[in-house]
Amino acid sequence: MAFKRDKKEEEDGGGNIFQNLEKTSVLQEARTFNDTPVNPRKCTHILTKILYLLNQGEQLGSTEATEVFFAVTKLFQSKDVVLRRMVYLGIKELSSLAEDVIIVTSSLTKDMTGREDLYRAAAIRALCSITDVTMLQSIERYMKQAIVDRNSAVSSAALVSSLHLTKVAGEVVKRWVNEAQEAANSDSIMVQYHALGVLYHIRKSDRLAVTKLVAKFKSGRMSLKSPFAICLVIRIVSKLLEEAGGEWAESPLFDFVESCLRHKSETVIYEAAHAIVNMKNTTQRELAPAVSVLQLFCTSPKPTLRFAAVRTLNKVAMSHPAALMACNCDLESLITDSNRSIATLAITTLLKTGAESSVDRLMKQISSFVCEISDEFKIVVVQAIRALCLKFPRKHSVLMNFLSTMLRDEGGLEYKASIADTVITIIEENPDAKETGLAHLCEFIEDCEHTSLAVRILHLLGKEGPKTKQPSRYIRFIYNRVILEKAVVRGAAVAAMAQFGAACPDLLPNILVLLARCQMDSDDEVRDRATYYHTILQCRDTLIANHYIIDTLQVSLPILEKALYQYLQNPSPIPFDLKSIPPPSAVADDHVAASNKIAAEGSISSTAPKLSKPQREENYYATKLNNIPEIANLNGPLFCSSEPVQLTESETEYVVRCIKHCFPHHLVLQFECLNTLNDQLLENVWVQLEPSEGYEVVHSIPCPRLQYGESASTYIILRFPDQLSATIGNFGATLKFVVKDCDQTTGLPDTEEGYDDEYMLEDVEVSLSDQIQKVSKANFGAAWEEAAGYCEMEDMYSLASMSSLEEAVANVTAFLGMQPAERSDKVPQGKSAHTLFLSGFFRGGQQVLVRAKLALADAVTMQLTVRSTDQRVAELITSTVG
Amino acid sequence: MGLFDKLSNFLGLKKKEVKVLVVGLNNSGKSTIINHLKSDDEKSTEIVPTIGLSVEKFKNQKVYFTALDMSGQGRYRDLWEHYYKECEGIIFVIDSSDRLRLAVAKEELDMLIQHPDVAGRFVPLLFFANKMDLRDALSSVKVAAALGLEKLQDKPWHICSSNAVTGEGLQEGVHWFTQQVCESMR
Ligand SMILES: Nc1nc2c(ncn2[C@@H]2O[C@H](COP(=O)(O)OP(=O)(O)OP(=O)(O)O)[C@@H](O)[C@H]2O)c(=O)[nH]1
Ligand SMILES: [Mg+2]
Repeated sequence: MAFKRDKKEEEDGGGNIFQNLEKTSVLQEARTFNDTPVNPRKCTHILTKILYLLNQGEQLGSTEATEVFFAVTKLFQSKDVVLRRMVYLGIKELSSLAEDVIIVTSSLTKDMTGREDLYRAAAIRALCSITDVTMLQSIERYMKQAIVDRNSAVSSAALVSSLHLTKVAGEVVKRWVNEAQEAANSDSIMVQYHALGVLYHIRKSDRLAVTKLVAKFKSGRMSLKSPFAICLVIRIVSKLLEEAGGEWAESPLFDFVESCLRHKSETVIYEAAHAIVNMKNTTQRELAPAVSVLQLFCTSPKPTLRFAAVRTLNKVAMSHPAALMACNCDLESLITDSNRSIATLAITTLLKTGAESSVDRLMKQISSFVCEISDEFKIVVVQAIRALCLKFPRKHSVLMNFLSTMLRDEGGLEYKASIADTVITIIEENPDAKETGLAHLCEFIEDCEHTSLAVRILHLLGKEGPKTKQPSRYIRFIYNRVILEKAVVRGAAVAAMAQFGAACPDLLPNILVLLARCQMDSDDEVRDRATYYHTILQCRDTLIANHYIIDTLQVSLPILEKALYQYLQNPSPIPFDLKSIPPPSAVADDHVAASNKIAAEGSISSTAPKLSKPQREENYYATKLNNIPEIANLNGPLFCSSEPVQLTESETEYVVRCIKHCFPHHLVLQFECLNTLNDQLLENVWVQLEPSEGYEVVHSIPCPRLQYGESASTYIILRFPDQLSATIGNFGATLKFVVKDCDQTTGLPDTEEGYDDEYMLEDVEVSLSDQIQKVSKANFGAAWEEAAGYCEMEDMYSLASMSSLEEAVANVTAFLGMQPAERSDKVPQGKSAHTLFLSGFFRGGQQVLVRAKLALADAVTMQLTVRSTDQRVAELITSTVG
Repeated sequence: MGLFDKLSNFLGLKKKEVKVLVVGLNNSGKSTIINHLKSDDEKSTEIVPTIGLSVEKFKNQKVYFTALDMSGQGRYRDLWEHYYKECEGIIFVIDSSDRLRLAVAKEELDMLIQHPDVAGRFVPLLFFANKMDLRDALSSVKVAAALGLEKLQDKPWHICSSNAVTGEGLQEGVHWFTQQVCESMR
């Protein structure tokens, strides 16, 4: 009978018998749990289904989960071992979803202390998952016993559960340190490893205790037989060394890691080598033994060792190219490894370190099997190519071809996105590659199944296409999308076409015809966009087109949303003023660009950085400052905030950083203070400021209490001088506070009385860039034309201290704190003249545009033209640059 | 279900297994009573306050009992009702020396009897007026009166004084209980 059924399942299930499970019917089946007597076989099967569903991401509501959970509790009456163990798993999975899960506490404690060894470990795990801080007391005794239990499975389960419990009840787990200590001497490899994990976790915030822990092991007072435990010690030590900064080369800790290279376990040897090559500031001498271990592994008959070694080498290829030279030969022999993952890593490592001449050969090798490897490794390849393109710009055609072949192949979104990202980066970095790159992307969207990617590429075509030699050739590709795709893509295509219409007058008539057709689209959004763009373009007014199509609304959207909401809550007769909304901060963009860069140069094998969260960044300070009444009451919203500036040397008693927040008429200085003395409690912390002339201190908000290891802020609110030229200056600053000496261990003050003390800080500098917010302009030319009607100031400067155009561009940009437009911050190679375009807003919403014509002779000379809506701002800029 | 199981069911060979719910206020002695009823090699040496429930097994006159020993602490009493539906008998334990909380016990009992999963169903109710050894313990008659048992008419019930530590009185109660359950199964 049983045989027959199996056969049937094989026929219709195609393997996975759980494939077509439905939540409601499984929950219905779960009612069987209430039946008496329990049918273990049936119940085990149903429980399996429930677990399967949960692991597939099926969501159970609280009521559903609770009902199932209570049904499961009834299964405790069965003594069937298999069923009972499924019950534990079920309890664990449901513990976070159902209510009143503590109902099984006694049942589980009974099992964990009972005679049936098969139950004990699993019961502990389940018990800890249903226990919260309030209940922990009642099981503490059992946990302590279990940690030192003779059965290693029980002890391990208790230790691992303790680790999980530290998240909810760290203080209670700390009391189990003696038991964990005893378990650390266990003969069982796993118990020892887990015990060490718990010990470290209990002490990790206490550096001294960790050092002692390591010393105890090194001196042999604690003997570690478990290779896993030793690996853990290596990790702990590396962390200690990293925290110690540069001063560790002679340290006994390093010697310890080095000695692990000669351990008898391969796991330990690898861990030590991995740790050493990943340390910062290592010298060739320290590195060499670790690299030779990896080199040895590269030729090991075990694929796991070869893989581990080559992966590690791949990661450090950019930071230790010299060390890698030693392994080149071995890597070469791995490029034909039968394990494709190993081969891919070997090739990409060689690509990173190799010469330009070897690129063609390696690319050919990799293309022979690229279709056989998984997406994850394909991404590794793509990122290696990205790095190569940046390193060898002349190779772009070979590499671009390779990428386009990859684009045509099958692949998931992440893989395709990484290719598109790479093509986009190449286009941006290398003008020669632009046309071919765009052509490949055009071809790709002809047959692209990933909507989000198609939309991004259409947006890019709209931005870059009009600037190419032959913009008309892109229109066909874009319009094809309108005919063939779903609404989201059609909308993006319409917007892209409008860009061409606005930027290329010759194409305008054709674009208008196409847009008119789109007005018949079946989708509301697409129709609306078409109508909008058509109407604007029909005016044939470049200024309007520029404002509403190319450089649209430049305000911070989250702040606009909030301001509009507030306006609607308290309507006023005065119309809403869009000027009061600060421009979006360009900081977030820079962030992404910077992290992209790091990824490109550093580890190519890591996956592409995900976009950071610009929204949070933008609003972060505004929300924080709004909680302080004195600041919330200032006129106007926060305009911009500077990067934090250190006012103390690092490694001093008190660390103070200053963040300058600029409001339309006020400057708020936030002093972020950190107390690094564990025997001091500071109270009433404030900064005594000697502002330059014209500034007026409106408020000083002290920080009432600053405990050891904590950071807190004190604020000073100043009014800007009316005279703009007086806004730039240096303020002397001194930190003032009351000290109370404390007991180091408890952190409680010894006396009620404190004494006054002070600490000199470095000067706070208020510069032009603190008052300017970056704004990007896609079409600087048009904006510059438009600004012809504004006030203009012009002057010549000689930048004597600068010896190259790049340096001058970087300095001027940083000094003014404005956003370079149209990639004018990139100086083409070998040119002796260059023009830099910058744009921004001065506090209060005054627009500023700057054109800096730079020429290189012996030194750099600069002709600076400023156009601004406010004469005084233009004057301020020309006068401060000089 | 295997062929043999089916056969034995059919022939009535199935061993008798009865599910009982053990409730009552905390500290009344529920776990101690159940522990006493278990076979010697399964007895636990120490009894701690129950958290949630504990599933225990014992045997009396060839009937196998599965007892759900519930926690009597205030905050867990609401959880009893999850187990009303399937139980075939209820043991209600009272600490007969705890005069103060006798009213609370009555309240819990009333709620139990009126619960839709219990009301109108044939469920034998056994009451243990426990801790009879203590000096100010009430007699079983007085406890019955305090709980208003005379009004309980639609269910068979029985009350006896007990001492869970020595086991005195337990056999009498469980004997009655087993008779009742066997009757209801027939
Ligand atoms: N003197 C005396 N003490 C008893 C008797 N029965 C139980 N006890 C004691 O009363 C205390 C509570 O007993 P438990 O069995 O834990 O009570 P419980 O009803 O299970 O309590 P919860 O699990 O908290 O609901 C224990 O210390 C027992 O030793 C009895 O008949 N006489
Ligand atoms: Mg109990």
